[in-house]
Amino acid sequence: MIKITNLEKIYRTEEVETIALNKLTIDVKEGEFVAIMGPSGCGKSTLLNILGLLDDPDGGSFIFNGVEVAHFNERKRADMRKHNIGFVFQSFNLIDELTVFENVELPLIYTGVKPADRKKRVEQVLDKMQIMHRRNHYPQQLSGGQQQRVAVARAVVNNPKLILADEPTGNLDSSNGNEVMELLTDLNEQGTTIIMVTHSEHDARFSHRIIRMLDGTTVTENILI
Amino acid sequence: MLKNYFKIAWRNLTRNRAFTIINVLGLTLGVACCILIYTLIMHHLSFDNFHNNKDRIYRVVSEYHDGDESGYNQGLTSPVGKAIRNTTTFAEQVARVISFDNELISLPKEKEVKKFQEPRGIAFAEPSFFSILNYPLVMGNQNTILSSPNAAVITQKLAKKYFGSEEAAMNKTIRIENKTDFIITGILKDLPNNTDRHQEIYVSYANLKDYSEWMADDANSWQGTYSECHCFVLLKKGITPAVANAALAGIVANHYNGREAKARKFTVQPLADIHFDTKYDANTDKKYLWALALIAVFLITTACVNFINLATAQALNRAKEIGIRKVLGSMRSQLFWQFIVETLIITLFAFCLAYWIAKTTVPYLNNLLHVEMELTFFNNYKLLLFLPLLLLIVVFLSGSYPGLVLARFQPALALKSKLSQKHIGGFSLRRILVITQFAISQMLIIGAIVIASQMHYSQNADMGFTKDAIVVVPVPDTTKIKMSNMRDRLSSLAGVEKISYCFQPPAADRNNSSAAFFNNNPEPEHWSANQKNADENYLSTFGLKLIAGRNFMPSDTTREYVVNETFVKNLGLQPKDIIGKNISVNGPNHKFPVVGVVKDFYNHSFHNKIEPLVIYPDYGRYIASAIKINMNNIKTILPAIEKIWNEEYPDYVYSHEFVDDKVNSFYETDVMMLRLIQIFTGIAVFIGCLGLYGLVSFMAVRKTKEIGVRKVLGASVPNILWIFGKEFSKLLLIAFVIAAPIGWWAMHKYLDDFVYRINIGAGIFILSILATLIIAAITVGYRSARAALANPATSLRTE
Repeated sequence: MIKITNLEKIYRTEEVETIALNKLTIDVKEGEFVAIMGPSGCGKSTLLNILGLLDDPDGGSFIFNGVEVAHFNERKRADMRKHNIGFVFQSFNLIDELTVFENVELPLIYTGVKPADRKKRVEQVLDKMQIMHRRNHYPQQLSGGQQQRVAVARAVVNNPKLILADEPTGNLDSSNGNEVMELLTDLNEQGTTIIMVTHSEHDARFSHRIIRMLDGTTVTENILI
Repeated sequence: MLKNYFKIAWRNLTRNRAFTIINVLGLTLGVACCILIYTLIMHHLSFDNFHNNKDRIYRVVSEYHDGDESGYNQGLTSPVGKAIRNTTTFAEQVARVISFDNELISLPKEKEVKKFQEPRGIAFAEPSFFSILNYPLVMGNQNTILSSPNAAVITQKLAKKYFGSEEAAMNKTIRIENKTDFIITGILKDLPNNTDRHQEIYVSYANLKDYSEWMADDANSWQGTYSECHCFVLLKKGITPAVANAALAGIVANHYNGREAKARKFTVQPLADIHFDTKYDANTDKKYLWALALIAVFLITTACVNFINLATAQALNRAKEIGIRKVLGSMRSQLFWQFIVETLIITLFAFCLAYWIAKTTVPYLNNLLHVEMELTFFNNYKLLLFLPLLLLIVVFLSGSYPGLVLARFQPALALKSKLSQKHIGGFSLRRILVITQFAISQMLIIGAIVIASQMHYSQNADMGFTKDAIVVVPVPDTTKIKMSNMRDRLSSLAGVEKISYCFQPPAADRNNSSAAFFNNNPEPEHWSANQKNADENYLSTFGLKLIAGRNFMPSDTTREYVVNETFVKNLGLQPKDIIGKNISVNGPNHKFPVVGVVKDFYNHSFHNKIEPLVIYPDYGRYIASAIKINMNNIKTILPAIEKIWNEEYPDYVYSHEFVDDKVNSFYETDVMMLRLIQIFTGIAVFIGCLGLYGLVSFMAVRKTKEIGVRKVLGASVPNILWIFGKEFSKLLLIAFVIAAPIGWWAMHKYLDDFVYRINIGAGIFILSILATLIIAAITVGYRSARAALANPATSLRTE
């Protein structure tokens, strides 16, 4: 599903050049659950941004579903993103001004789903995430665990092929963290490919494969199943 | 999608109430002023544009070019109209209309004799006048109303005032100046408020001879030009003004000889120019209207700059939302339109408030500017086009840049709160915008100070004569015995110091001029002399100072002349050299010696040059009595004067005017302009202050950590305050460098209209920058002080 070859990303300022990704090569198959680990500054987040089409690589190839996307323009990236990729963040990143329902509905609006369908699909996913009773609440009125469940609901409402999770349990206690990891595992079992950046060995063990990074490149790969 | 935009926009706006209020208030004030200025401009542009054949209607006017001297007069010699009709073919219709202000109207055939002093006066009009100009009749036949002598047409308003109703007024008699009776043959619909013709009483032209034999004599009145003797023509289709002017040149050639034939010129003036051409009788200068339009642009720009400034400053607070939307697949264009919708909501709200404010303010503005504007949507398609257009301009001017900035955010950085000032256009952009606001405010402040200074100078500078404590009453009857009685009775009043009979006070808006002949020269001088008919008390009553010779001896008729310094200078003489020399005005036959020279005084407003003038007695021309009074007796003296006047002239209506009020009225347009500039400057400064306050509030929040750290490291409160002060002082100084030369240039242009004027000194600029500094310091001070006084422990913990 994802084939990255010799991917490079360099951040330049007037005086300093920082190599974030250094000829990185990774393959992720459809239906896989991959965890990416490594110390701070090793390039995990940069990789996730590029995988999520939020950032451009400076070199190398990135093939997504058989299409070279490394040099897509912003419009194509946005289009590819909204139809194929869901995101879960450490800090939930819900829009404070929108209710739970409206937050989850947002990706459907951008993909042009009709209002009646949107309502149905949002309710389905909220029900599945067991957060339906909070549909009219604002994010500030929810616990961290509930917020992350809303974020997961939002990530999956469009039935994406790929979910990118950036330390999804980083802001949660262990009980809520486990719940989220189980949600992700369920989604993966239903066929969604998941790539997760984490510092937690515990969370990483939910994945099929752990890729460890250092200084912008992979150092080891552990296959867990 | 749109619903989502509105929803989030509304929630954002309600969450950031302070910024929303600042933006709404700024935009409301800016738009309200813009609507008012638009209404004012459109009102002036609409003058006399309702006539059916407006593009073919022209007024024939006079020009005089002799050597270096040029003169323009909206009036004509009265026979010109007849000559156009009889000897040329360019006009489809010709109408002469000669008007006289402030006439006495009485109703002689009513049970109780009623008298009305009508300040708008009367007009002697040829019947075709109402065929050329469209002033509709509500009663009467347009083809016959003024075709026979002693016929009159009055407006509905006057019909009701005189006789109770329009129907009752028909065929009734009115008497003008206790001389001639007229039968009402038609009732005019009340005049619209956008016409320059103010007369509400039109009478048969055939009766002009009862009023002015000289003007009615078409054979012998080719010399004198009366400024209210007008002639309107309706050009034939296809005839150009050039063709008409060529034909008018033929009339000059046929009726004038020698130098006068070369100097005199009749030309046609388009109807659309009458309201604006200040060379003639217009008092609305188009350049003032464009200046107001520019101020409207300034105000809207200031309000939009506020919006851009605050919106971009706030953009960082919205980084997360934008990041999320981008992650979820939003396109740049969608984010841009989302912000435009937000701007639209604010702007729509501001427009509704602004329209209400403008509508409420129009009556006050009408009162202030002596106009009759209306602000209504109904039947006003121009306003219906203007408002949406203005709305679009404001929305895109205000919303585009912040929208682009927001849409450009990189989602990866936005989500991690790694966006910095440079991502929202940097502080330099907002600096430029604040400089723009300061520069606009300072230009307006400079303008307001210069105009106020010139007005102060105009109204308080020594005009060369005494204008205080002199009251002028009319003299409707110039029989010697009546004038003598009146003088004796007034002189006996305690508090009356001096009395002079005259044609006009030294400075007047209407003056008589005549060619001047010097020392038996058969040819007149290249300039004309202003004539002041007055008795021997004129000089002492008005404090005119003799610099050579003496005053003329008491006399009812002209035997001696007193002239002013300019008259002598124009002849190339010294004051003492003219004493005893003969001069003549009003034709070469009125030859008398000059016995005195008075120091120059301003005989018009400071807009005009001091003219050569001649003062001489001629009791038949006296229409005013100037009474110098002791102001301590003001409460008793005015009623006493009125009582005596009414006893002496029971058939007339009393009125009085103070000379200083008259002088002040010369500057009515300037005072109006000053008031408008003051109001709009105040509003521009206020809008700027709102923005400044918003910006400094934002800056204070952004600098919380920096201030905390500085305080921990030992910075004092003044040190912290200086962080803000330094920033804004720098911007203010840059703005001043931009505003000062532009303000200087614009105000020089304004002062060009004054022959006698102030100099734009450094003081005006110092005052303007000080005013801006103080206003900015007050605006910035409170918020900066709060930031400076905050406990660093709290601010660092917050961070």
